[in-house]
Amino acid sequence: MRQAGTYSGILSGGISGKTGPHLLPLARIKKIMKKSGEAVKMISGESPIVFSKACELFIKELTQRSWMVTMQSKRRTLNKEDVASAVMATDLFDFLVNLVSESPLEMDTSKYS
Amino acid sequence: MEDEISHENSAHGHNKGSPESPCAKISCNGNNNNNKEQDRFLPIANVGRIMKKVIPSNGKISKDAKETVQECVSEFISFVTGEASDKCQREKRKTINGDDIIWAITTLGFEEYVGPLKLYLSKYREIEGEKLNIPKQQRSEQKQQQQQSKHEQNIPNFNSNVYSPPNLLSRHTSFVPSDQPFSLPFSSNNIQKQLQQQDQVDSVGYW
Repeated sequence: MRQAGTYSGILSGGISGKTGPHLLPLARIKKIMKKSGEAVKMISGESPIVFSKACELFIKELTQRSWMVTMQSKRRTLNKEDVASAVMATDLFDFLVNLVSESPLEMDTSKYS
Repeated sequence: MEDEISHENSAHGHNKGSPESPCAKISCNGNNNNNKEQDRFLPIANVGRIMKKVIPSNGKISKDAKETVQECVSEFISFVTGEASDKCQREKRKTINGDDIIWAITTLGFEEYVGPLKLYLSKYREIEGEKLNIPKQQRSEQKQQQQQSKHEQNIPNFNSNVYSPPNLLSRHTSFVPSDQPFSLPFSSNNIQKQLQQQDQVDSVGYW
């Protein structure tokens, strides 16, 4: 039986009900994909699934790098500045530089289309 | 169909303050008519959970760090999708598929993600392929059985179908072997429509 409620976001992709804690909601991923540009119209069913895994890997990498900054400062709480430092220190995260350095953020995603 | 929206809105109201003030913290994209923040980001609970996995158990994560990572993930998705979309346009294809995503991820420098992703995707496709190989013939058999047999047959099968699979999605290293007696309910139909129940039952192969 499908689980409604808290995890319905996870289930919205039609994946069966077990609430693996690392699942990201597929419909939400799809929405974000669609917002990235006018040209994005049709998305295969597997794309959000691939992204679900890719986002998990991305979050983990970003967090690990941020945590290293936290540890250097001898703290145990990872804060936003640590994330910003990790972004600045990593070439791979260049596309995030504007995002972490501005307080009022404008996600100008049109540049990616 | 986006009727998943209602579930998500109620379940994961974006917790940047009040969901009713979408532009309070983040200035909205000018051409974005849908200003709800919750649509722009993945749920902070999910993001936070994944983050916790890679820090020591006595570590803590501030809320603003989670929010920042949340925003970064959305940016990542847009970034990769943009590349993939460009590729599809160049190749005159209308649909972005998993390979395009993987290609874009590679192109943008995230090569180390590619291994697990490809494996993941190939398993997914394998299961999808099995599902497609059990098309109408089993469906009609199943329907006959459904009509003849008791209703309760549907439910336990459906339940076990529902609860068993997602190992595939859980750890990227532990994939469900393809010799499972039933196929996993992955299907583009499932993802895009809410007609999953019937599809899942049909594809189960329990019958």
